[in-house]
Amino acid sequence: MSAQRVQLFATCLGDLLFPEAVADADLLLREAGFEVEFPHRQVCCGQPAFNSGHRKAARRVARTFARAFSRSLPVVVPSGSCTTMVAHYLPELLGVEPYEVWELSAFLDARSSELPRRNEGRTVAYHDSCHMLRELRITTPPRRLLERSGAEVVMLPRPDLCCGFGGTFSVRQPEVSVAMADDKLAAAQAVKAEALVTADPGCLMHLRGRSERTGGLPIVHLATALARGASA
Amino acid sequence: MTELAQPPARFREVARAKLADARVQAAVDVSTARLRSHRLDAWGALEGIEELRQRAHDVRMRGVRDLDRYLAEFTAALEARGGHVKVCATAEEACAYVVEVCRRRGATLLAKSKSMATEEIGLNAALEAAGVRPVETDLGEYILQLAGGHPAHIVAPALEKTKEDVAALFTEVEGHPVPTDLEELTQSARRQLRKVFLEADVGVTGANFAVAQTGTIVTVTNEGNARLVSSLPKVHIAITGIERLVPELADLAPLLKLLARSGTGQPLSSYTQLITGPRREGEEDGPEELHVVFLENGRRNLLGTKYEEMLACIRCGACLNVCPVYRKTAGEAYGPVYSGPMGAVLVPLLVGLGQARSLPHASSLCGACAEACPVKIPLHELLLELRRDLVERRLVSRRERLAMTLWSLAWSRALSYRLTTWAARLGQPLAGRWGPGRTWAEGRAVPRLARRRFRDWR
Repeated sequence: MSAQRVQLFATCLGDLLFPEAVADADLLLREAGFEVEFPHRQVCCGQPAFNSGHRKAARRVARTFARAFSRSLPVVVPSGSCTTMVAHYLPELLGVEPYEVWELSAFLDARSSELPRRNEGRTVAYHDSCHMLRELRITTPPRRLLERSGAEVVMLPRPDLCCGFGGTFSVRQPEVSVAMADDKLAAAQAVKAEALVTADPGCLMHLRGRSERTGGLPIVHLATALARGASA
Repeated sequence: MTELAQPPARFREVARAKLADARVQAAVDVSTARLRSHRLDAWGALEGIEELRQRAHDVRMRGVRDLDRYLAEFTAALEARGGHVKVCATAEEACAYVVEVCRRRGATLLAKSKSMATEEIGLNAALEAAGVRPVETDLGEYILQLAGGHPAHIVAPALEKTKEDVAALFTEVEGHPVPTDLEELTQSARRQLRKVFLEADVGVTGANFAVAQTGTIVTVTNEGNARLVSSLPKVHIAITGIERLVPELADLAPLLKLLARSGTGQPLSSYTQLITGPRREGEEDGPEELHVVFLENGRRNLLGTKYEEMLACIRCGACLNVCPVYRKTAGEAYGPVYSGPMGAVLVPLLVGLGQARSLPHASSLCGACAEACPVKIPLHELLLELRRDLVERRLVSRRERLAMTLWSLAWSRALSYRLTTWAARLGQPLAGRWGPGRTWAEGRAVPRLARRRFRDWR
């Protein structure tokens, strides 16, 4: 029997800023026994424009997704917010049929059995991105995967609070955005996490940017934490 | 009239000031966290909260969708009981009506219980201009009136004020030192307000709901001040938004079950009052005159539009208490009256999108508001719709539109995406130097474009 095939959507932030995290997602899927296709015509789901109200621009970019991906295979995405865009908004935006789209951790949690214990002895906190928490309602899978990889996952106080990225919000209200990140970083430090793990490249870019500036703790993509350990 | 409209840069300016004020940050964090956890406990103790929220939503929308019918029913019912109903299209009209009633009765002192609608129309200023002294009797509002400020929260208006602030204000009024002890502060407030209740010529309250079937208005308070304001003075004027109508008395059940639970976590507020008409023959209390003023002030613009659901809002404050942006900015950044997610949606709809352009963007669209809303208003979706309207009605800068168009053209094909992102890597050293990149870089490290994109090694 040949391995089941999936399509990997790198997302624009993944492709451009965090290719290693996408490679880690790729590796995890292979380790779990899947054959991973990377459709080369993919670009971006159009979310940056969509969330700013620019529908026409969003449609123009979102069409690249429709051209690149097939409906006959699952699409796996190492990003909660892009998963939300593709699952909840893109079909209506373009007037197309829905795709079978999975956020990476939900997919791995449902479909993979073994996970190497690469985080033995590590204490990490997991940051719920808003899209995963409220739109996709995926809260347990990423934590369970981290635990299966050997990590102790500590709960953040107020896990419901947004980290302040919010797409263009981060530059329209930069002071508020940064203050929200500071609260999140302080919360992770307060519970003595060695690293803060997130499954969303947007939160990752924002929180890591702030943490680097203030000498805070490492911010790690979930795929990286699972594929190479949370200190990678 | 209170200026609801606000210049585009105001939100950020006020937010900056609030962020720099550690006392405000601590006060807002503590209050909102407490109110939020009380709501969650209260909701958790109810069986079938989701069905209840849906019922509450449906009841509100039934009233909103058939507004004129219920308005006519309410008017007929209240007039049959000897009350007066006045529908006012604008804030000015509503203020003028109240001033006229005061003038006719020769009123000089007016006692008010908490009402967002009166904040919205700037009633106090109109009364003062006409020689009538309005006194707020909700403790939080009274403190703000003494301090000369606007409510920072629709349910807990003075949440930024500490007991030291309050003691200082009370000391000034009483002319002798009032200690910061809570019991002493309460006694002092009582001494000050009792006089007002007894001497006021006219009482003004809001109304949480108006029941069409019976011509009943409902007030919900914790301090009992609405009860005194509506029964001691000879004239009672209730001012409320036109959208607060519900068809029948039975419709109050899901709403009252949810209102206090969502606002403060109480099963029911301390005082829930149903008033149907002024004092009748043979009755011992109640006012001689009762006026119900229904305020339109832009609300009709929402009827029949994609924003209609905003009219279901019951002003419980639950969305404020969960909003991470409100938590950092406090109420004032949103404007003088309505704040938090509900304010960010409502204000642009009332005053016109062009007059409050920054509000739809005063959110990270995290969705906590919609999840907390007892009447299930999809607040973050409405914010997204407002952003869309901003673009479609060309209310965003030409620069932003041009940037989005160019970006979307560049990324409309994989080939042009590859070329432009390759070129962008050459421009990486400039990334934090201008435009949004520079704004980003003020507080955060600029992300580095990878030497090899994922697609290059795959």
